[in-house]
Amino acid sequence: MTASDDEHPSASSWVLVAVGWTLVGVPMLWGIIITFRKAALLFR
Amino acid sequence: MYAVFPVRPIPRSPLMAGLLDRERIIAQPGFNRWLVPPAALAIHLSIGMAYGFSVFWLPLSKAIGVTQPLPCGAEVGFFEQLVTTTCDWKISMLGWMYSLFFFFLGSSAAIFGGWLERVGPRRAGVVAAFCWGGGFFISALGIKTHQLWLMWLGSGVIGGCGLGLGYISPVSTLIKWFPDRRGMATGMAIMGFGGGALIGSPLADLLMKRFASATSVGAFETFLAMGTLYFVAMLLGAFGYRIPRTDWRPAGWVPKVQANAMVTRGHVHVRMAWRTRQFWLLWAVLCLNVSAGIGVIGMASPMIQEVFGGKLIGVAGSLADLTTDQKAQVATIGAAFAALLSFFNIVGRFFWASLSDWLGRKRTYMIFFLLGTVLYASAPGAGKSGSVALFAAIFCVILTMYGGGFATIPAYLADMFGTQFVGAIHGRLLTAWSTAGILGPVLINYIREYQLTQGVPAAQAYNTTMFILAGLLVLGFLCNLAVRPVAERYFMTDEELAAVRGGK
Repeated sequence: MTASDDEHPSASSWVLVAVGWTLVGVPMLWGIIITFRKAALLFR
Repeated sequence: MYAVFPVRPIPRSPLMAGLLDRERIIAQPGFNRWLVPPAALAIHLSIGMAYGFSVFWLPLSKAIGVTQPLPCGAEVGFFEQLVTTTCDWKISMLGWMYSLFFFFLGSSAAIFGGWLERVGPRRAGVVAAFCWGGGFFISALGIKTHQLWLMWLGSGVIGGCGLGLGYISPVSTLIKWFPDRRGMATGMAIMGFGGGALIGSPLADLLMKRFASATSVGAFETFLAMGTLYFVAMLLGAFGYRIPRTDWRPAGWVPKVQANAMVTRGHVHVRMAWRTRQFWLLWAVLCLNVSAGIGVIGMASPMIQEVFGGKLIGVAGSLADLTTDQKAQVATIGAAFAALLSFFNIVGRFFWASLSDWLGRKRTYMIFFLLGTVLYASAPGAGKSGSVALFAAIFCVILTMYGGGFATIPAYLADMFGTQFVGAIHGRLLTAWSTAGILGPVLINYIREYQLTQGVPAAQAYNTTMFILAGLLVLGFLCNLAVRPVAERYFMTDEELAAVRGGK
């Protein structure tokens, strides 16, 4: 077998993916909200 | 031809491999490739704080005086300022850390890129965590003992090496996991480098306020806390890295049969890559794109203040005519503009890199250079028209292409030179960033100064600069236009490739 076309990720691995993305996504979202609050001054 | 060295002279089984070894992190069947981008983001979001270090300058400039800076006397020279414990550091001296960051980022990426390809991303990520986190701890010691040289060494030199290693650590891994979406994959990680300051700056500000006391500005404790946080986050990222097996490909994905001349199926060795014309053309493409954008980032806040003056707060008159209170209000809006640009810098990294998967890398850079030239050339007109929204919109789009340039280049390299050594080749190409980090700001600051000494009003002092930046982009366009597929003679033979892959 050369490629692993039949090796689909397990359903449980998607839970880990969600956890991983949440761990990096939440701080990013916090930073973006703070940035938008600052940037809003430009358009007042 | 050229000599090749195997990755591992004696192949070992995964069970025998050490915790950080390349063999240890080869993914098992069924591994979910979408776990790798958050691991890469954990590292890039941590090292991206390098962009946000200016948040420390003001508090550190009064580390001794606490409520206000205690300036050094004229008798305290450059070298004495590095060790003085009796007067405060100047912001200009602290600002050297920025130059050190980007110099050591480029240098370490260039020097250790080949090593990274041999040992794998996990070991490189762990070393990066020790350098970046450790750099914060050494800097904390420098703050505690008020030794500026320790801060330069800790965050600037050692931390700068961590930046370089951390930056390139996930690149080739992501490209191998996402052969169908190379641009999007590297765009996701490199987006984190732009986003690091968005999290790090307000966090540092919060921590310094929390730790500040009557006798301290709170920077020492903040450096310790952030160093610990980044160290842990980067270790988690490094241990989250997995590399695919050599013959792995995404389920259901078949490489295009119809050959695209600008996307090679072969691999060029890192030692050969820099001898090709394509490497130096792409080096120039990155350098020119970054030089133009980095200059804008550095001057964004003063530029909008000087161009629009009182109009930003609904008052007539130029910046020089305003009262101190009004200037403070205008400065706040200048900071808001800089924050908005940093957001678009991040968005551009993901947007353009993902779009390049559809458009092709060469066409994407064509858009950067053509659209960028038009926008830079339009900026003086937008300033003259008095439209703040139009002026801001022009620079927001420009900043998306600045970020997009960084995020698209790894995929461009993989298309041209193959994936085997793309991390190392990318590392060498990042010297273009170091060069641009000096070239861009110097060019912009000197032109502005020259304009002012020639009696040009402050509001118009940026016009010539904009046309020069547009000129840089025209040069970039020509370099990109000259990029052609790499000649066959530079590619490794199957035997050489097998030797490099450890005889597998």
